[in-house]
Amino acid sequence: MKKTIPRKTRVLSNRLLDKTGCYRSLQLTGFKPGRKIYPGNFVHLKVTDCLEPYFRRAFSVADYDSRTDCLEIIYKVVGRGTSLMADYQKGDTVDLIGPLGNRFTFPGKKKTAMIVAGGVGLPPLFYLSQQMLAAGHDPDRILFFYGGRSREDLIRLSHIKKQGVRFYPCTDDGSFGYKGFVTEAVRDHLPDIDRKNIMIYGCGPEPMLAALQDLALNENLAGEISLEAPMPCGVGVCLGCVKPRLDQPGHYVRVCYEGPVFKMGEVKL
Amino acid sequence: MKSALNIEIGGIKFKNPVMVASGTFGYAEEFERLIDLDALGGIVTKSITLAERPGHPPPRTWETAAGMLNAIGLANVGVDRFIDEKIPFLKKLKTAIIVNVAGARVSEYVEVCRRLDKVGGFEMIELNLSCPNVDEGGMEFGTDPDKLKKAIMAVREVTSKPIIAKLSPNVTDIVAIARAAKEAGAVAVSMINTLVGMAINIENRKPCLTNGTGGLSGSAIKPVAIAMVYKVHKAVDIPIIGIGGISGWRDAVEFHLAGATGLQVGTANFIEPDVTMKIIKGLQDYMTDNNLPSLHDIIGKVKVS
Repeated sequence: MKKTIPRKTRVLSNRLLDKTGCYRSLQLTGFKPGRKIYPGNFVHLKVTDCLEPYFRRAFSVADYDSRTDCLEIIYKVVGRGTSLMADYQKGDTVDLIGPLGNRFTFPGKKKTAMIVAGGVGLPPLFYLSQQMLAAGHDPDRILFFYGGRSREDLIRLSHIKKQGVRFYPCTDDGSFGYKGFVTEAVRDHLPDIDRKNIMIYGCGPEPMLAALQDLALNENLAGEISLEAPMPCGVGVCLGCVKPRLDQPGHYVRVCYEGPVFKMGEVKL
Repeated sequence: MKSALNIEIGGIKFKNPVMVASGTFGYAEEFERLIDLDALGGIVTKSITLAERPGHPPPRTWETAAGMLNAIGLANVGVDRFIDEKIPFLKKLKTAIIVNVAGARVSEYVEVCRRLDKVGGFEMIELNLSCPNVDEGGMEFGTDPDKLKKAIMAVREVTSKPIIAKLSPNVTDIVAIARAAKEAGAVAVSMINTLVGMAINIENRKPCLTNGTGGLSGSAIKPVAIAMVYKVHKAVDIPIIGIGGISGWRDAVEFHLAGATGLQVGTANFIEPDVTMKIIKGLQDYMTDNNLPSLHDIIGKVKVS
């Protein structure tokens, strides 16, 4: 089997996605990972050849087209690593390892997927709905909830609409879509759907995922959430990215290795 | 002519000096999909304790300038599960396997080594006498020559395997500790373990690690390690396995020149999972390009006027 080792990729584009200057889309080519990249998988990116920042940065895959070998990462500029990434120019070389981590489980065709994205949690879920549709899932059975503080925090709105899924944008300030948290919007839609056939998929800030998991556990709904954690190694050996287990108190899971996707009720948030 | 990279430590043959350090390579199975494990000189496992340990609550790691702090807390599966679940994979590999053993008391080191000795499937034991991140044990053996001696001698009674003593840099006189390890019968010392360090969040004014302090590793500590290897090599006649910030073949050569016979690559595995493969190749090229027949032509050959 082909070894998963660092590969040199080339920047195709590094575009700003929003007016606030926070979100960017980085498109890379030359990755040729030698295996399929699934929604939920992540790549570990070496931001710089210098020693600062020292570790790689993990990003979930927002899109991968194997025919054109084009990989897309959507990132939010928040710290030293992502600030350096914002300066990447077309043609620059970027060192990547991947795909790493597990993936979302596709729901059966009869199931209704409730996709719940918060802020920077959008990319893997956008890729998930796209891949589900490509696999023949009925767009009417995909409910896409996407929340942010205000209209400016939401990106890729037209892309999501174009997928033809049932789209429910939410903002805390009511500047766009449903006014309130995404989890509240999800709760409002539950009565319309047969509970046995619901699969929830979540990714976003941890408080949002905690609320979503509480909702799922209280309402006895199946689902998966994708977690984020600083990952020194990304391959399961440093034990730095652990989260406590909810189902086995006193034990931990590695976000990079057992995850980043976990079943509802697996991890204590 | 191709130079020879093979070395021998305590009667164990290594195809090359490049090993991976404890706690940076899991139980090796995690790296199977990443590199050719058989190409390594040796593999040192995660520290094994008598009982399974979940480790400290997160955050356990913290990125620093050119390095990292960690306080994992010796998370491991415990010796019995290690024997049942991990040894079968490790013993199939064509590389030297070194089991790192940690304990809170001498009796724990002894019991872990006794159980390991019954099953075999590995070449050497490395005693972690220097973990800075657990309340009791580990470090106390590494900072007191008498306690260190007692621990090594007690383990010798129950194991047929050669013992490497992993030393702490958090001491006033590392030479005295290395000398004690030799006198107690260790075949080699590996050095250095991490340096005690701390980072504080200035917003909430709390330590960045749940444990408060942690161990500093990575490129940042390399000069400290080089100096300590150099000092011990000059003063004590015992093979040294150099550890501390090795991230490329140039670092490997530097450690050899300072006096290291073997090498362990640690934190760099996190950043470049295939860094060991590059180090082996770079070291080979350096030796060949300089017409050096064997590693003994550079070990301890730093020119100090």
